[in-house]
Amino acid sequence: MSAIQSAFPGSVLESRVESDRRLWITVDPKKLVEITQFLRDKKDFDHYSGAAGVDRINDNLFEVVEILTSHGAHQVVVLMKVKIPRDKPSVRSLTGLYWNANWYEREIWEMYGINFEGHPELYPLLLPDELVGYWPWRKDFKGYPDTTTGERAIEQVGPDGYTEFKIMPHPELIKAGVVPERPKYPTFREREEAEIKSDSEMIMHMGPQHAIVPGPFLLDLLIEGERVKKAFLDVGYIHKGIEKIMENRTYLQGLVYTDRMCYLASITNNEAYCGAVEKLLGITPPERAQYIRVILAELSRIQSHLLGTGEFLTLLGAATYSPFQYMIIDREDIVYLMESVTGARITHTFVRFGGVRNDLPDGFADKARPILKRMRERTEEYMDLLHSDPIYTRRMRGIGVLSPGDARRLGVSGPPLRASDTPYDMRREDPILVYPDLDFKVVTRKAGDAEARVEVRLEEILESIHIIEQCLDQIPEGPIQEKLPKKIKPEPGEAYYRVEDPRGEMGFYVVSDGSEKPYRVKVRGPVYAYMQALPPLLEGAYVADVVAIAGSMDACTSEVDR
Amino acid sequence: MVLKSLKYTLKTALTTTEVTRLYPEVMMELPANERGIHELDATTCIGCGSCARICPNSCIEMVPYRYGNPLKNRKMQFPQIDYGRCTFCGLCVDECPVSCLKMGKTTEIAGWDRKDIVYGPDRIAVKKFSEKEVAELEAEAKRQAEEKKKAAAAAAKEKAAKAKGKENKAKAKLGEGGEA
Ligand code: SF4
Ligand code: SF4
Repeated sequence: MSAIQSAFPGSVLESRVESDRRLWITVDPKKLVEITQFLRDKKDFDHYSGAAGVDRINDNLFEVVEILTSHGAHQVVVLMKVKIPRDKPSVRSLTGLYWNANWYEREIWEMYGINFEGHPELYPLLLPDELVGYWPWRKDFKGYPDTTTGERAIEQVGPDGYTEFKIMPHPELIKAGVVPERPKYPTFREREEAEIKSDSEMIMHMGPQHAIVPGPFLLDLLIEGERVKKAFLDVGYIHKGIEKIMENRTYLQGLVYTDRMCYLASITNNEAYCGAVEKLLGITPPERAQYIRVILAELSRIQSHLLGTGEFLTLLGAATYSPFQYMIIDREDIVYLMESVTGARITHTFVRFGGVRNDLPDGFADKARPILKRMRERTEEYMDLLHSDPIYTRRMRGIGVLSPGDARRLGVSGPPLRASDTPYDMRREDPILVYPDLDFKVVTRKAGDAEARVEVRLEEILESIHIIEQCLDQIPEGPIQEKLPKKIKPEPGEAYYRVEDPRGEMGFYVVSDGSEKPYRVKVRGPVYAYMQALPPLLEGAYVADVVAIAGSMDACTSEVDR
Repeated sequence: MVLKSLKYTLKTALTTTEVTRLYPEVMMELPANERGIHELDATTCIGCGSCARICPNSCIEMVPYRYGNPLKNRKMQFPQIDYGRCTFCGLCVDECPVSCLKMGKTTEIAGWDRKDIVYGPDRIAVKKFSEKEVAELEAEAKRQAEEKKKAAAAAAKEKAAKAKGKENKAKAKLGEGGEA
């Protein structure tokens, strides 16, 4: 902190040291890029974790919060804020410093209308073209189609023969100038067609419905012969606006929506959200609750890795045996174990502010131990099988190599990052709950290819089993719920809390204005970062390997389009 | 390689537990914590509406229902749940101050149209009063209400008398004051 102050006198407007791992600063918008560069080059903040916009409509300001961390050099998270006037919002883009700032800034632009000077491609990412210009996440957004009339969808046949349904604004409103003017930009199709340079190139569409991920997204490949020259990604097909919905629900009701962002990681999503709200409320859960939360988080990691790996292996056409069915059989045991605690199979809504919903049922440990033991044997079996399968090895080894430097630059986290020889795990980096008391190792691989990513996942299952067994041994008796105020109304403030999701770094940034509802919730999901890293990873690959590369990332669109 | 895979295949085939169930005949065994269709104890529900307020999807509506306890639930309003919207999150169960709403092990909700899956209190109530008990309770409630009315009337009378007395006193005082 003092280093920044001495290097840039007068440009740090406000600062707050929350703990030894969180630093909040508000800086002068003019100096934003310089300060970020200083932090990146001199202070090892080499991981750009995300950015969030906040609409402070009462102060007539927009805030942009940049979240900077480091890949293992230290554990400090800097939340750097700039405040800009609401009538002409514009900040300088950080895309020159961090490659992966691109999508985060695009999202803020399309949701808030904050311009990013120097951004290379300020096109909408999650929103459909019709919605751009309405800036839906501003607080004075009235809803869409608020400005339309009864005749909602209008059928239009375009010159290319496609029928499109458009929701048009009322002509009188257009005349009166109520309908905002749309920014001009080339559409997705124009952008990709502009890249076709010769007759030997063509565009191949994968998606919006494709088997490589359980969710719709469009992956367009510009191919020349068998090679991918460039990849274009369009997400947002199932954008649900969960962040905005949560602004209109009380804190407790918002919990239900965190489940639905990604059904494989619902416990960790609950955990991240509750952690952030607990920080705002200033409470810590009792120890028994912390243990229960760890047990469930690890169980959820096991089932997520099993499903992700199994599904992916089926896509690869794994020969001679059917891993998906096998892994589903095993996953069933784990899911049943979780169901016996939470009462639901995938959408748990289990973690509560300052505790958990209910205690472990009687005899849980006795039931869990044999299942875990069997799970361990089976995982070792899978590893053995995959190692000795020549077809599998040919299709995976050396495919989609992500070097450690690239992996960090592209901002991926979780198993793909660890497979690229970077031991970066939130359970170590930003320890929460009782993780510091538990013994586990961070699984890494040197190779960084598709095979390494699957290996990391499988070995993490073993580590998770080890963690759960320790928890079952150590778990103390005691209460499971901290005393809460009658109405959950945190003091005005903000908190950022991150956990290790099955897929990587999941962070929740929650702003409170002292009312019953959160003022702003921002989700920093791991899959968003993978997706962003996909096009550069696919460049130069064979078409046949695209599925192997994209599938080995274990993505989930539902979380990108939360 | 092939032999190894076969070995594991055989091992799995011989050792794993049941994988497929004959669904409608053989049901899965559900844990005690299962969050299935709600179960309402109509004899204790106080009709406070907390469940309806907490529900994130507004699927609970308070509707009149006869077989509850009129002593505790004066307006005789009980939750009706629209399973077309319910996400089985269980927040309503946690919120109930008298723990009369629970979630059970039934999970099948199919119906022919949308109205079929709106479950009124009669369909979710697992415990309710019989007609006779309700009649008794109603009589009791009536009696209590009347008693209360009487008591209230008496109290009002007393109050009025007191107020009058006070007024008189005050007047008297005022008179004294005026005289002095
Ligand atoms: S379980 Fe959740 S969604 Fe269903 S009625 Fe209760 S509060 Fe509403
Ligand atoms: S079920 Fe419980 S929360 Fe709902 S009205 Fe009855 S007493 Fe209140």
